[in-house]
Amino acid sequence: MRVIVLMGRVLDPRGIVVNRRRGRIFVNVEEYIIQPADRCALEVALRVKDATGAEVVALPRGPLPDDDVLRQALATGADRAIYLTADKPYDDGAWTKVLVAAVERLGGADLILTGATTLDTGQGQLGPRLAEALGWPQVVDAWSAEVADGKVRAVLHRGGEYVAVEANLPAVVTVQPGAVKPRYPDGVRLINVYRGVGEVAEALETWPVADLVEVESLKPLLERRGQDFPPERERSVRLTGTVEEMARAAADALRERL
Amino acid sequence: MDFTFSPEHQALRRMIREFAENEVAPLAAEIDREHRVPIETMRKLGEIGLLGVCFPQEYGGMGAGETGYCILMEELGRICTSTATNVGAHIGIGAMAIYLDGNEEQKRKYLTPLARGEKIAAFGLTEANAGSDAANIRTRAVREGDSWILDGGKVFITNGGYADIVTVLAVTDPALGPRGGITAFIVETQWEGFKVAREEDKMGIRGTSTAELVFEELRVPHENVLGKVGEGFVTFMKALDMGRLTLGAACLGGAQAALEWAIRWAKTRNQFGVALAHKQSVQWMIANMATEIEALRSLVYRVAWLVDTGRPFSQLAAMCKMYGSEVASRAIDMALQIHGGLGVTRDFPIERAFRDARIAEIFEGTNEIQRIVIAANIFRQHGVRIRP
Repeated sequence: MRVIVLMGRVLDPRGIVVNRRRGRIFVNVEEYIIQPADRCALEVALRVKDATGAEVVALPRGPLPDDDVLRQALATGADRAIYLTADKPYDDGAWTKVLVAAVERLGGADLILTGATTLDTGQGQLGPRLAEALGWPQVVDAWSAEVADGKVRAVLHRGGEYVAVEANLPAVVTVQPGAVKPRYPDGVRLINVYRGVGEVAEALETWPVADLVEVESLKPLLERRGQDFPPERERSVRLTGTVEEMARAAADALRERL
Repeated sequence: MDFTFSPEHQALRRMIREFAENEVAPLAAEIDREHRVPIETMRKLGEIGLLGVCFPQEYGGMGAGETGYCILMEELGRICTSTATNVGAHIGIGAMAIYLDGNEEQKRKYLTPLARGEKIAAFGLTEANAGSDAANIRTRAVREGDSWILDGGKVFITNGGYADIVTVLAVTDPALGPRGGITAFIVETQWEGFKVAREEDKMGIRGTSTAELVFEELRVPHENVLGKVGEGFVTFMKALDMGRLTLGAACLGGAQAALEWAIRWAKTRNQFGVALAHKQSVQWMIANMATEIEALRSLVYRVAWLVDTGRPFSQLAAMCKMYGSEVASRAIDMALQIHGGLGVTRDFPIERAFRDARIAEIFEGTNEIQRIVIAANIFRQHGVRIRP
């Protein structure tokens, strides 16, 4: 069995400060982390590997300037990683075509996992688009997923309740950020993959996008016209009155937001 | 000259920082309050390979060098001094002595489980009458056929209460003294004749075990002599050199944490209608702390580089330990001052940091001893041999 995980990176939010008044983001420490939801998807994939012995292959969820995310996936336990090199940015629509070709080149897969959303741009389209392009069933926003008897069983967390669903393999599953606690990388694999020595380093391959698809056919879905901050949200309300009055006001406010 | 960390060290720091913030931080206040060693943290560190960070991969280590080890100690020191101390006693001196002078068989048998955290090491040097005067130890080892019989005891042994393996220094020839008369042994604590006599109740680093060990007719097989008979003092001093550097790294982490707390508090605390950050007295403290921390960081990682490239580093390791412990104490003191009265309450981690910091100026060679080492090295380079 083969499980593919699509992974991306995001600027570590701890290294940035947002100044709303000046409409600017100041980057104090430019460090990138794996997209939190993608990291949960990797953990789900590794649990499938632990349970079934599946091969886990990591691929980029979009064009990446370097292979750091893939090295981290290998250090954490992925068996293979393929760095798809692109010379310009592609959005999820165009990248779906690249991934379909990559899956085909790999010889197919039984399960594709990725994050249900990205931390920075809030994109959740990649999984559904890829499932449509492949003609596979899709499970979106999974809280957990396991594989048995040719099916993937997933639990979704929707509106305060859990919903169990299942789909025939092959399938695409997107995983919620915070759904599972990701494991730590293995120290030896980490050092070796970054030093470029040993089996774990050889498991990292590079495939140029141009070898997979006609680059001219990759048309973007979106056009960027600028950026703005979302409107400032009401932060908090000070309650006054007796304890009972404040408790009632708090309960009403909570009920309103549910 | 290149001051950037290699990609593997950057990735290692990310991994350790995440581990420290997720696994170590939630226990930091609890282990201090309950005077408990977080053995579960040691096992978790071992599982992902971090307890073998600086040892070669053939002995179950990671092979990340002394730089990797300093990163581990800095990141742990930033979150929990007790955990950093446990790790330092385990890797930095306990297992380090076996790595430096153990033979192939000893490294396979002892270093490998230590690097994986399956066993915990301690370093048995200090005795009641031999603290700074380390050569004055009295624990005696007498040869009896294929074994040595150890009698005596050690005090203030970090990890002593729960270690599986202790490297012990004992006198094998009283006539020769430290040059030829002192030998290092690898002792398994399960052996008959090994006893933990007492646990110290301490002001700080309360998440560590500081134990008194007693040896009564403790039989150690000859193959457990560490290095050559009579040369144990040199082995132990070499291990201490490594330990001193990484203790400096742990102090760097502690000082960095104090600076972070101070900045956060200076931003949020209002007095006279403005945040403390706008007060020049606070600005000067922050500037002083940050400058000293940067100087310490440069020193620590330069010495790590000296070690990794096989250059002499002994004098600079002493500087790391001495300067590091004093920078940390000063930074924590200033951070506490910025916090005001709240800083001495248990609601803020600075109170624990303040108690934890003091020991760093004492253990692994008091700062007075470090100054002697540094000065003796300097004068030796100028042709003067310092008389004790």
